[in-house]
Amino acid sequence: MSTASGIRVETVSRVFAARGTTVEALRDVSLDCPAGSFTALIGPSGCGKSTILRLALGLDRADTGTIEVGGLAPSDATKSGITGVAFQDAALLPWRSVEDNIALPLDVLGRPRAAHSAKIAELIALVGLKGFENALPSELSGGMRQRVAIARSLVTDPQVLFLDEPFGALDQILRKQMNIELQRIWMESQATTLLVTHGIDEAVFLADRVVVMQSRPGRISKIIDIDLPRPRRAELFADPAFHKLEAEVASALDGH
Amino acid sequence: MGIDLRRIYGSIRNLAIIVIVWEILGRLQLVASGALPPPSAVVLRLIKDWGDYPGHIGATIFGAGVGFIIGNAVAIAAGVLFALYPLTSRVARGLNIAIFALPAIAISPILVLTLSDPVPRIVLAAIGCYFVTMTATVVGLTQVDARSVDVVRAYGGGKWKALWLVQWRSALPVILSGLRVAAPNAVLGSILAEFGGGGRWGLGVYLLGSLGRAEPDRLWGIGLVATLIAAAAYAVFALIANSITGSSQSVTVPTSLLRSDEEGRVRPLWQRGALIASSIALPFALWWVLLLALRVPAMIAKTPAGLLDYLVLLPSAPIAQGKLVAALAQTLPMTFIGMAAGLALAFALALCSQLWPAVVRAFMPVALVTQTMPLVALTPLLVLMLGRGTAVILAITISVTFFPAFVTMAQGLLMVPRAALEVPKAYGASLFTQLRLVSIPSSLPYLFAATRLTAPRALLGVMIAEWLATGTGLGNLLNQSRGYLDYGMIWSVAFVSVVLSVLFYQVVVVVERRVLGRFGMASAQ
Amino acid sequence: MSLNMQRRHFLSLMGAAATLPLTSRLAYAATPLTFQASWINDAEFAGYFAAMDKGYYTEQGLDLTYLSGGPDVIPESALIAGKADVTLTTPDTTIKAIVEQGAPFKIIGAQYQKNPIGIVSLASNPIKTPQDLVGKTLAVPPVNVISVEAMLKISGVDRASVNIVPYAYDPTPLIKGEIDASLDFTTNVPFSIKQAGPDATSFLLYDFGFTTFNDTVVVTTDVLASKRRELVAFLRASRQGWDDNLADPAALPPTFAETWFKGTGRSIENEVYFNTAQKPLIEASGGIFSMSEDSIAANIEALAAVGINATREMFDTTLLEEI
Repeated sequence: MSTASGIRVETVSRVFAARGTTVEALRDVSLDCPAGSFTALIGPSGCGKSTILRLALGLDRADTGTIEVGGLAPSDATKSGITGVAFQDAALLPWRSVEDNIALPLDVLGRPRAAHSAKIAELIALVGLKGFENALPSELSGGMRQRVAIARSLVTDPQVLFLDEPFGALDQILRKQMNIELQRIWMESQATTLLVTHGIDEAVFLADRVVVMQSRPGRISKIIDIDLPRPRRAELFADPAFHKLEAEVASALDGH
Repeated sequence: MGIDLRRIYGSIRNLAIIVIVWEILGRLQLVASGALPPPSAVVLRLIKDWGDYPGHIGATIFGAGVGFIIGNAVAIAAGVLFALYPLTSRVARGLNIAIFALPAIAISPILVLTLSDPVPRIVLAAIGCYFVTMTATVVGLTQVDARSVDVVRAYGGGKWKALWLVQWRSALPVILSGLRVAAPNAVLGSILAEFGGGGRWGLGVYLLGSLGRAEPDRLWGIGLVATLIAAAAYAVFALIANSITGSSQSVTVPTSLLRSDEEGRVRPLWQRGALIASSIALPFALWWVLLLALRVPAMIAKTPAGLLDYLVLLPSAPIAQGKLVAALAQTLPMTFIGMAAGLALAFALALCSQLWPAVVRAFMPVALVTQTMPLVALTPLLVLMLGRGTAVILAITISVTFFPAFVTMAQGLLMVPRAALEVPKAYGASLFTQLRLVSIPSSLPYLFAATRLTAPRALLGVMIAEWLATGTGLGNLLNQSRGYLDYGMIWSVAFVSVVLSVLFYQVVVVVERRVLGRFGMASAQ
Repeated sequence: MSLNMQRRHFLSLMGAAATLPLTSRLAYAATPLTFQASWINDAEFAGYFAAMDKGYYTEQGLDLTYLSGGPDVIPESALIAGKADVTLTTPDTTIKAIVEQGAPFKIIGAQYQKNPIGIVSLASNPIKTPQDLVGKTLAVPPVNVISVEAMLKISGVDRASVNIVPYAYDPTPLIKGEIDASLDFTTNVPFSIKQAGPDATSFLLYDFGFTTFNDTVVVTTDVLASKRRELVAFLRASRQGWDDNLADPAALPPTFAETWFKGTGRSIENEVYFNTAQKPLIEASGGIFSMSEDSIAANIEALAAVGINATREMFDTTLLEEI
């Protein structure tokens, strides 16, 4: 299933019209994420990184160009249930318990929940929320809610995982913990992962390669391979090699 | 959402003060040479008359209840349709505004002519519910947190899946708050239809039957019971809404709202023209089809063609036109003055509610009573106090317009973000400066929403005053035409008043779009 | 509510049937007839209540449905809409509708030989003739303005000298002195005013030239053709009821207290007053509902004064003859 679960973006453009002006969110963007790879998209606001993700999820349509997820058109890929997604905000349904929120994708795809109850319990344990199965989102802290969202993105055993700034709302300390946990989860699942982020450290820590984007028009300016060995540990954040890569990404962001 | 004991105590104290002052005014016959009965007399009278009440209350609740169920079922179904397929809401726009703006006083005689009791009560109660609940449903379904819908769509879920899994449940509190407003509307609608509907039972029937008795204490008693039923209906849904929303409040503020595909899409001119035309044509088509379906004789039920005959083609048309124009010349100026006065008062009071919240809270129960107390019961009192001229028209018009406008504007002032207020505060701005610089400009959308709400009601208020007190204008023409069996004129007055109400509404919408567009604000629902 | 009515009606029917000899019960298959009253249930309709309670309609082979009226009920509309077969109206509006809109109405009887509407004022500020109205404020239901204008014209009073304002059937403004007089049923309102304290005085428009009937019994020409037998039966049974009721105006109203008058909020004392006051206005030498040639001519003449051109053909006296 090597190419079958990759993400392919080919010469995609997308223009938005708003208040009399037009914004070129993406111009001729091409990107290939091989199966099982971890790609981070980083760039300033308005560079179109979230647009790529929305296009790949079938939430929006490209003006020109094609996108394939696991060899399928985005809307077919999502319907077949091979994808998983977590957004910047947990976006939990406030009236559903932790368990029920995690099960939401199953309800959407029309899969029986009973057959997945073991999976759900396993995910709750994985994100460290054992004992909170029946809690409502309002009873959880911000970090806990975000972990529910991560568990939710994994409930369908996705071959392709999309993460849109999933830890953007968390504080620095919690964020680092979550990064380490996410890496562990990813290594177990081996899903092709596309992470949209603002954090240079997060991108370098998690990804196989970091795709740096620029805005107006939204485009890819540089792709930086991250050859750090896995599993990467917390100490890595203090490693000179890590800092060097961070500096490289930062200067690419500055347009160098 | 804990219960604030101090506030409850405060409300009780305020209410007690009002009752005592009222008692003194009534006992000493200080208002309208004693036409305002003291509350003790009203209560004693209520106890004495209690034997009469159960049948009337039962009939009113029956009409209101059936109307409430039907009206809200239709409203929710329509709301779902409009939210999921925004194009349909564009087509139904004319119909929706017409239903919102329908002056009940003009429509009630027509319902009574074409339908048999108790159907007019049910229809008027249902109409009272429709717009509120429909709007709440649309707002609830579309103002859902877009991220939650994205989660569903990201797994390939379609419109209906998103509706079922996310939107429906998240809209529920908004829909319930719509039902909360709709419930007293249904009660008042039913009572209003009873005035004209004949039949033996119902509080409206009882009130009219008692009108000739020179017993204001009984009229107030009936009004009090009507108010209590309306308040109870409100409270039931407020409780349900509280118990549902309490535990499942959204934990984060939605950063983005669901945008419909319609928004931002520019349609070609011919398509927009077709949409507007069909939106105007729909109410007429429905009017025609309904009359055909009901098989009401042409003499009493005028189709659009029948009305055209009466107002334009028949030899008697110039006389009819003359009567209408003369009535409009009396009614329209009063409508504008009344509307301006009602809005000004509401705005002033909304500002006061920011500056002196306690005073305004004390005033609220009185304001509430004027909303649910049938105006027919109050009019003799107002006439005694204010005479039969402009003053009484203005008083009645203000009383029907100011309250909804006040609630909307006060809400607007409350919604001003705290952070925005704190900036001028940090520079030592006074309360007035804060209001001037931040609160008033930022509540502009609510000022417009209030105006939209008020415009049709002002016409209604003027017509009621003309009908009951001054004997002028459209209100009197309507009443007189009923007596003279001038069916063409009854329909003409109803038609003209609906068209005017829709027109007022539409003018406000156009101005609102211009102004808010310039400031980059969104309109408030 | 209509259910309630049906049930009561059904019960009274059962009761009446039980008292009848078996043969008469078999002889008539009761035919339905619907009667729209012109006001809420009060003494104005005591004759019909009596006839229903005593089973006179059933005896006549009628299955009568009684629809209550009210201030905003337009009785003629019920006929046109087919909701009722027979109703009570004010003759001026009925005849106006015939003349101006070609409404297919026929007047087949008159409950009030003399129209009970009149000018009511307080004894402390009495208005006893049309001339007394000059410079005064008079409250008139918009529907009756033309009647008042006719009376003023006939009496030679300038319309412009009287300030006419709308009247919502509430005597409070009169009692409080906000208006000087009102147009209302003289059979009823003086009692209400007395209850509130002051004494009232009144005069009939009839006595000052507006010589019309009131509560004219009206049907459509279609119903007249198709239900003639039932209409005659209705008039006959109703007349019987009225005769019983007026024999002693104080006797029957108390028996309606828990049935017909239930929930109207009016006292039985009031209904007895009303019933007594209306007796001389209803009774006629030719029997209840009579329309003598003289009185028809007087109606036509009075209506002509307000520009309504009534003709003799609008009145059909043949059914009365069949009673």
